[in-house]
Amino acid sequence: MAKLYVQAFPPADLNKNTEWFMYPGVWTTYILILFFSWLLVLSVFGCTPGTAWTVVNLFHFAGASAYEFGYFCSQTGCFSIRVWLVLFRLITYHFFHWKKGTPFADDQGMYNGLTWWEQMDNGKQLTRNRKFLIVVPVVLNVIDSTTVRELTVYPHQLYCLRYLIALHTTDYQQPMLFLNTLAVSVLVVAKLPNMHKVRIFGINAEN
Amino acid sequence: MVRLPYVTALTTLFSYGLLFAFGQLRDFFRRILDARKPSNLKGYAPICLGLEDFYTRRLYLRIQDCFGRPIASAPDAWFDVVERYSNDCNKTLHRTTTTTKCLNLGSYNYLGFAAADEYCTPRVIESLKKYSVSTCSVRVDGGNTKLHTELEELVARFVGKHAAIVFGMGYVTNSAIIPALVGKGGLIISDSLNHNSIVNGARGSGATVRVFQHNNPAHLEEVLREQIAGGQPRTHRPWKKIIVIVEGIYSMEGELCKLPEVISVCKKYKAYTYLDEAHSIGAIGKTGRGVCELLGVNPADVDIMMGTFTKSFGSCGGYIAASKEIIHHLKHTCPAHIYATSMSPPAVQQVISAIKVVLGEDGTNRGAKKLAQIRENSNFFRSELQKMGFEVLGDNDSPVMPIMLYNPAKIPAFSRECLRQNVAIVTVAFPATPLLLARARICISASHSREDLIKGLEVISKVGDLVGIKYFPVEQEKTTAVEKLKKIQ
Repeated sequence: MAKLYVQAFPPADLNKNTEWFMYPGVWTTYILILFFSWLLVLSVFGCTPGTAWTVVNLFHFAGASAYEFGYFCSQTGCFSIRVWLVLFRLITYHFFHWKKGTPFADDQGMYNGLTWWEQMDNGKQLTRNRKFLIVVPVVLNVIDSTTVRELTVYPHQLYCLRYLIALHTTDYQQPMLFLNTLAVSVLVVAKLPNMHKVRIFGINAEN
Repeated sequence: MVRLPYVTALTTLFSYGLLFAFGQLRDFFRRILDARKPSNLKGYAPICLGLEDFYTRRLYLRIQDCFGRPIASAPDAWFDVVERYSNDCNKTLHRTTTTTKCLNLGSYNYLGFAAADEYCTPRVIESLKKYSVSTCSVRVDGGNTKLHTELEELVARFVGKHAAIVFGMGYVTNSAIIPALVGKGGLIISDSLNHNSIVNGARGSGATVRVFQHNNPAHLEEVLREQIAGGQPRTHRPWKKIIVIVEGIYSMEGELCKLPEVISVCKKYKAYTYLDEAHSIGAIGKTGRGVCELLGVNPADVDIMMGTFTKSFGSCGGYIAASKEIIHHLKHTCPAHIYATSMSPPAVQQVISAIKVVLGEDGTNRGAKKLAQIRENSNFFRSELQKMGFEVLGDNDSPVMPIMLYNPAKIPAFSRECLRQNVAIVTVAFPATPLLLARARICISASHSREDLIKGLEVISKVGDLVGIKYFPVEQEKTTAVEKLKKIQ
């Protein structure tokens, strides 16, 4: 197999916490990590819809009623996507916009007040990397919404729970879409250039 | 600038992601398990803020046995490495009393002065008896001996400048001199891969610091034009002083600086130049005078030349060589001269003797032989490694050659396997190098014989096959090391 080589120019960025993001292959790796983590979540949750709602109880971002949420998800069979999306939003929010500083002491605390997102690209806004990272949760949200609209109903469920499904599909489409867009808008707003170094109500402002 | 297979870039990023994820998981469970323990802080703030020591605890400590190995003899071509063991997965290491004799490919012993030398050592012992082990005083007080003055004159003569000043520690030479040269209102433009001592000195000076892309005179010109046009931040007044800092040989890349182009750019825009020759003084150039001699640059064109005695001269300390006025100013303002203990007299004598050997003033031609030997050794080793398919950085004639590893798991694999086969190699990872560009760095010495190098090559080739770091195709010519050995025999 012919090897495909890339050139890696060391970027002139003094912040070692973020300069690794300017190397070739980062975007592909990000997408691949998302894909593999989805497979992982699928393998863990895809087969056990019954216990799903207890887990969701612990993880849900917007705090909707866990039982109804779990029931709905178990009926549609898209449950693993739900869990995975929630995990993705939580994890990316925590590491990009909550955790501040750098994981090593060499820079003597210069970036202790800045989250990873604010440190990236030396604080320059709207670079290619930033645009890519804004687009990813929006694209995932779009994928998510399309799977909500085309509800896949499994045959065996149809026979035994047809009435309940018919009842629930109209009830739960609206809140799900609403909650999803709310979650994604929080993520996208956090990445906007106007929110650079802004701490709303002083949340996460202390060192 | 390195070339790597695309798959390697992906797997390296993925490995670091995995290590990071596992580290976070462990931290999470540690926090849960420790929540029940009472905190014994008694109202004091914790030493490390939450995230600061994450890299040390969760990544570095896992492979701690590959770094900081203690040795039990002088760091000559072959030396004794002390064996260590750990009972708790490398969190704590215990030394044993057994040592193994290993080939030393990690010490900066460029000219072979690290072990006992027939000219230097008797003179050092004599000066030890005469001047004792430390002056216990500062240079301006009682610590200025005849040896120190002699060394400063000798260094100035060797390097080709008018005057020099000598310090007891190489790192301090950079971090204490740069603040004395430039302050607030000045501009420091430094290469992006400059050593930590320069970065610390620049940060401590209070001047504005800008970085230009490594070894790229075109980008340096761009940065200079932008900064001169913009002036100081906020007030836009003209800069008081602009200093451009570059290194002779970059210790993590083995590359030579593009000195002639950098000097011409600096002259055009009237910026001062500061050349850090820590690794290049005494090791390259026909008579060992460093990168200026090798690249044909007149030392008068470089404003300040800095170097250390640790690498080629087998001693400790550093020097600055510049015009008489600059050295006079430094002697009156630099705290490393006014308040630090002066260099230890036997160490000074070692440098004096080593420089005399290099210059040929000891009456033999050992200096010239050493210089020829190191040049030959470096070129041979580098070309053989490249033929085997390794990715080796660095220019020809440079005695520092890093072999790229990239993946974090290959760092301990390469290091431990080489040690098992009695070759001691230094591996370098983050934060000394960029995160993804971990490497094993080899430093060739004049005291390595051809057989030593061939043994080193064999072991590295075997381990390289095992670990999988031969990223480039192997050259099929039949001039392998085995053939060369046959020719010698």
